Parts: sequence; structure tokens; C-alpha cells
Amino acid sequence: MTDTDSTTTGPLGPDDITADSPFTLPGFFDALAEGRLVAARCTECDTQMLPPRPACYGCGSRAVTLSEQPRTGEVISYTSVNRPPSAFEHLAPITVAVVELDSSARLTGRVEASLEDVAIGDRVELRIDDPETVDIDPDFDLSYEEEWPAHVFELL
Amino acid sequence: MSTAHLIAVGSSPLGKTDLPGRDLFSKALAEAFEELPDPADVVDGLYVGAQSERYENQIMQGTLMAEWAGLRNVPAERVEACAAAGALALKNAVRDVRAGVHDAVLACGVEKMTAGGTEGATNALGAAFERALEQRSGITAPATYALLARRYLHETDATERDLAKIAVKNHRNAADNPRAMFQQAVDIETAMDAPDVAPPLKLYDCAPVTDGAAAVVVANDEVAAELQRRSDAVRVAGIGSAANNLAVAERDLTFVEGANVAASTAYEDAGVDAADVDVAEVHDAFTVCEALLAEAAEFAPKGRGIETVEDPEDRSAGWTDVRINTSGGLKARGHPIGATGLLQAVEAYEQLTGRAGERQVADADTALLINEGGVADAHTVATVLTATDGGA
Ligand SMILES: [Zn+2]
Repeated sequence: MTDTDSTTTGPLGPDDITADSPFTLPGFFDALAEGRLVAARCTECDTQMLPPRPACYGCGSRAVTLSEQPRTGEVISYTSVNRPPSAFEHLAPITVAVVELDSSARLTGRVEASLEDVAIGDRVELRIDDPETVDIDPDFDLSYEEEWPAHVFELL
Repeated sequence: MSTAHLIAVGSSPLGKTDLPGRDLFSKALAEAFEELPDPADVVDGLYVGAQSERYENQIMQGTLMAEWAGLRNVPAERVEACAAAGALALKNAVRDVRAGVHDAVLACGVEKMTAGGTEGATNALGAAFERALEQRSGITAPATYALLARRYLHETDATERDLAKIAVKNHRNAADNPRAMFQQAVDIETAMDAPDVAPPLKLYDCAPVTDGAAAVVVANDEVAAELQRRSDAVRVAGIGSAANNLAVAERDLTFVEGANVAASTAYEDAGVDAADVDVAEVHDAFTVCEALLAEAAEFAPKGRGIETVEDPEDRSAGWTDVRINTSGGLKARGHPIGATGLLQAVEAYEQLTGRAGERQVADADTALLINEGGVADAHTVATVLTATDGGA
């Protein structure tokens, strides 16, 4: 994990908050589409936050910076969504997990494995898919989400 | 600061009904005001807890419910924090009465969850989860709680059977509750053999989709004294609320910290300790929540929350003798999302005024309510209620 180049350290000013910046969702997903998973890192307490945001939930500080994340981590917990929301029905049953990346950042994601093949502590790697590949019902996406990539974990 | 009292309560039938939301509200209101003057002569404002406008395509629920109660030209607001909406309505009503803004306020909650079938409820509830990474991974309410349950079973000695016992206990309690959706006991084998919903959670680990409404009248000393016999009023001794992170991934999966903060705040406000609580209604949307909340409320040592099903004398050292979810809880009383926090208050009101019938806990004079929204404690409200006359 490394702090990204040309990094802004908060408090963010109004001009720092643009759709090009990973501190916003469009900027975060643009970076993800290019293969970079970017978190906000608190420079006071080192909490890593996905997606990035302007303040730290750990200590309240706005002194946050951007930090590119490792793609590997381990399963903290997992289950199977047997009856998913209608837009995801074609993927059922969906194995999902909370994953702690090697940076300590945590995120939820689908796991491309059946439930019985997953256990707490398993090593996984993040994969980034085009939205078309996942084939989620287009009605699910909001207008600004249509081009956003989807994330999924593969067992290592 | 004025003292806030609950002077009357009411609820609609709970379950799948032929009544829309506003009519369910009318039922709850009719019961609460059975022995009171018109609402317009009693309350000066209204808060309504409602999780989602998707069920009935209706926002402006504050205005609508006020109108149905005959209230006009008074503040009337919908409040929302998913399943914590009902207790938020109560909290706001209590705050207004304590601050002297109003002499009496109606706190109510309503949800018509069956309007769009199971799919409609799944999609409406899904809006409570963090959108960018969690909703877009296809999660549901049972799945997010299953993430908590899986981790809890991993970190403690608890088993799936221990979780099922919580459902069995709550069904047994509901069998004695005329308000409950499921007034029948289930046995442990039925619960264990039920289909998986999101492993390790099975059907009986999950609260049902429920239509329902509840209403509670919150009043200051003067209004309470004028309208109620002293033994029929319950004092709101303490209240606290707290938000935790929205994304389940960014929370401690086995310590509901927001609930712990809310409960601690409510205890401090009331000047009581966890050990003083005789009865508690805690938010068992899924069985694992009852165990987690018993720990967060400091009734149980860490990892032993599953002993909520045991009689006090059979529990581990460090447990209090509180009785939990005497109503049957969300699991068996029913869980009409926006009304649930107020249904908890209804049960506590009945316990503290000696009206709980077969469920009555002897000498109950302090109750704790914990109502959560989002996945577990994304938002939590905790309330301490005490009997005015020193016990039932
Ligand atoms: Zn920090």
C-alpha cells in the first residue's frame, strides 16, 4: 500500500472535491476501472477507508490522504445470499464475504466460489470486472453508476 | 427539564393484513386513545417512524398520520433510520416534552411491508445498506446479519443450535402475547431443520416480514397527572442514540459498539446500571442480534450472550437476571420495521404497569429497550423506562 502521487492531504477544500478525485465516487470508480483500488488513509490514526471520504471514522480527523490498496487479503466472515435482490437473481446463490486487505482496509464483496469452498482466514485476491460481464439488471444502476466496474474476490 | 411519561399505548394487529399503512395506524391510535380525549386535545405534535416509501409509494407520512389523528397545524414529521425509526420517533417526542417544547407528543410507527411481496420487501430493505460497495455486491438483510453470525460462531463457543434456542425462547414468549404475530411455540428440531436463508442463519433465525403500526402518547407531568392514574403511567428515565458506520465491513462484527454507546448513554441519563434492568426488549431481527445486544447492554459477559435463553439462576457468572424479549421479540411478535421500536415500548409499558398477563415478570420496575437500524447498529436508540409506582 502506498500513498498515491500528487496526493492531497485534508482537510479537503471545496476545489479538491471533483469527479476526477477518488475522494468522490466517480473518481474512485474511474481509478478502479484502471485497476487501482484507492482508499482514504487517516494521517492521524492510520485508519483505511473504502470508498474514500473526507473524514476519519476512527478519530474524527479530516487529515486524510489517498492510499492505493493491495489487491490481496483474507476472509473475515462469509455467507451465501440464497435469495438476492431481483437485479442479482441470475447470480444466486451469491457467496459474499467481508475481506480484510493486507493494508487492514475492509470491504464486502462477492466471492467467486461456492459457499462450501470458503472459510474464515482464506486468502483472496480482488478482481475488477466490466459492468457488462456481471450482467446486473440495468434497471438497478442509477444513471451515474452505469459505467462503474464491479469488484469480486477470487480464492488464492 | 420536564419528566416525560408514557401515558397510553396501542398497536395494530401484526402480520399480513388487508389493511394499508394509514389504517393500521388508525387501529393503533384507536387503542391508545380508547380512554383519552381526542388526540387534538392531548398532543401538540407527532413523529412517525417509517422505514421506506417504497412499500406504499407514500412519503409525507407525518402529515398523513396527523390528519388521520385529527391533528392540524402542528409539527408532524417522519423520521427514518431503517428499523430504528420507531425509537427515533419516541426519542424525538421525549426530547420535545423534556425540553418543554410540547406538553404531549404522539410517537408512532407504521410499515406495510407485504405490499410488494417478498421481492418488494427485499428491495426496500436493501436500500439500508451502503450503496457503492455493499448493495452493488448483491447483499440482503439476512446475508449481512449472517456475516455477523458466522464471525460470532467463529470467535465464541456458540453454535447454530444456541442461536436456534433464542428463536425457540422467543416463540414460547409470543405464545403468551395476544399482540404477537406468531402465538405458538416451535421446538428446537423444527428450527434446526428449517431451510437455510443465509448460512449459518436459517428460517427461524430471521424475523418475519410484517405489516403493523404502534402508537405511544408521551406527556409531561401535568398532562400525565390529568389524564392517567399514577399506576398507569411509565416514566422515560433515560434515552440515548448513536450512529455507527454504514458499511458492515467497516464495523466490529462481534461487538455492536453503537448499541453499547446508546445503552450506556441511556443508563447514565437514567442513573441506573445494567444490573438494575428487570426486563429488556432488544432488537432480535436475527437471533445473533439478541446475543450481541445482551453483551452490548452489559447484561452478559463477552461471548455468553446466547444464555439469554436460560433462567437467571442457570446463567454464567457475570450475567444479570434480566428477562429478555418477553413479548416474543421481533422474531415472534413480528417486525413491522418502522413500528418495531414502539412495539418494544408497548411491551415495556405492559410489563411495568402489571398488564403483561401470562408474560408478567414479577416486580418489574425497570425496562431497557434497544432498537437498531441498518445492519445491526448502523443506528441505535436505547431507552430506559421505569414504573411510576415502584413496580408491577
Ligand atoms: Zn483517524
